[in-house]
Amino acid sequence: MSEMWINMGPQHPMTHGLWNLRVRIDGEMIRDVDPEVGYLHRGIEKISEDRHYNEVITLMDRTCYVAGLAWEHLYILGAEKALHIEPPERAEYLRVLSEEFQRIGSHVMWFAAFVQDLGLTSPFLYGMRDRDLVLDLFQSYTGARLTYEYMRVGGVRNDLPPGFTDQARKVLDWLLARFQDYDQLTLGSDIFHKRCDNLGVLKARDCVAHGVTGPMLRSAGVKRDLRKDRPYSVYGQVDFDVAVADGADVTGRYLVRMEELRQSVRILKQVLDWLDRHPGPVMAEQLPRWLGAPYAPQGREGYLLKRQYPKGVGFSAIEEPHGEAQAYVVNEGGEHPYRVKFRSPIFANLAAARQYLVGYHVADIPPILGSVDVCVGEVDR
Amino acid sequence: MQPEDVQRALGPRLGTRLSAVEAFPGTAGRVRFLREAALDVFRAVHDDLGFLHLSLVGGVDWVDHREVFYVVWSDDAKQYLLLSTDVPANDAHVESATAVWPSANWHERETWELVDIGFDHHPDLRHLLMPDGYVFHPLLRSFKLHEPEELEVKSRHV
Repeated sequence: MSEMWINMGPQHPMTHGLWNLRVRIDGEMIRDVDPEVGYLHRGIEKISEDRHYNEVITLMDRTCYVAGLAWEHLYILGAEKALHIEPPERAEYLRVLSEEFQRIGSHVMWFAAFVQDLGLTSPFLYGMRDRDLVLDLFQSYTGARLTYEYMRVGGVRNDLPPGFTDQARKVLDWLLARFQDYDQLTLGSDIFHKRCDNLGVLKARDCVAHGVTGPMLRSAGVKRDLRKDRPYSVYGQVDFDVAVADGADVTGRYLVRMEELRQSVRILKQVLDWLDRHPGPVMAEQLPRWLGAPYAPQGREGYLLKRQYPKGVGFSAIEEPHGEAQAYVVNEGGEHPYRVKFRSPIFANLAAARQYLVGYHVADIPPILGSVDVCVGEVDR
Repeated sequence: MQPEDVQRALGPRLGTRLSAVEAFPGTAGRVRFLREAALDVFRAVHDDLGFLHLSLVGGVDWVDHREVFYVVWSDDAKQYLLLSTDVPANDAHVESATAVWPSANWHERETWELVDIGFDHHPDLRHLLMPDGYVFHPLLRSFKLHEPEELEVKSRHV
């Protein structure tokens, strides 16, 4: 049969966002693929050059719209290194709390969307219901459910409201029980295994060569997690295990994410205990006033900043829910970053699409790309 | 791994083409090299030092020249290493890293279209985020926000 190129996207139920997967097919077989991205390119790196350090945070929430707090954390770590600012310890714990809750939110959202791709509608509703509990917690201490703008250069905006930790523990216990439901709904189903086992296989060596990170890499048996290998914030002080699986396939990625959810709960319980016992400031002292107030650039203090903070380049890397994200922030003195560069994990995971799609059937594309967890916002930036 | 270890491993092989190995917070160091040595540096860092994972390629426009930087990771050392080289603004190109790290492919496409740095022997250097026929390079300092640009965009496949 003759081969032909078809477009899956930019509007397609499989894509979960605006991008186009060009597929060369021979009957039902995939011979070649060419992902086409850029439909959601907003020039976040360029706009950052025109904004104050704290104003970039609003862009970070929109970089990945299901993991906003993780991206805020990434940027803040890079900006603080570039500006030579040390946050107080309680702020670091609050950031880890935010990032781990965000990981739960992101993974549960992924679960909901992924099972929907497989045609299982009920688990989708389970997932959306449980994610709402996490969003309620976010709303109680950041005031927002999607675009939080919570972290600041030098700390976080505000402390937790009274009673937050007890409520959070209740939510965690509820979620732990729900994760068992998830496994029963999926792993207990023959249909799930028939659609997911030995699909989209990407072995460890190919993962490394093509820059694939996150749950995709760990599902290939590589025990690599920046929270463990290169602890940032206070991850060195909490106890958890790195989730790995050995299938390197769609089922393996599912198992890794489910285990990560449980490990996140484990981390969060330790963080909540610490926060209960250690009250304290959440912002660094002696920052220029406008670094605390993002909307009021003060001419004279801009000059002070130039004198106070030597030039520098900040590099930070975090284990975002989707994989390894990096920020490279160049501070040339002054109120704006000179250059900001972000590494999005899904950008790299999607670039390797040819490696894990070619050779499978067209009908396998939704489960495979579902297991990649594509978030177009952070691919295009 | 410390910057001195990197210097000791790369120095004999590269000689004067290695400009410096500087300390860089949070990483094993930053290797600055002349662009003629690019491929040799990539091979040495990949084969000898064991940095098998290329995470990031990016560019910075310093107006009089441009800088290309690479971030690589080693699973054995559990550390990042930064590589960086300067290219003149009127002749901005460097050897592609795709021969050593296939993961450089999309990162180099992006750097080419946004910062206008060419990558020699890249297998597939075409637009990634911007539409075909887009002639601007938005991450150059000369590209001003707030100033309108006029451009006729053609669809890629029709």
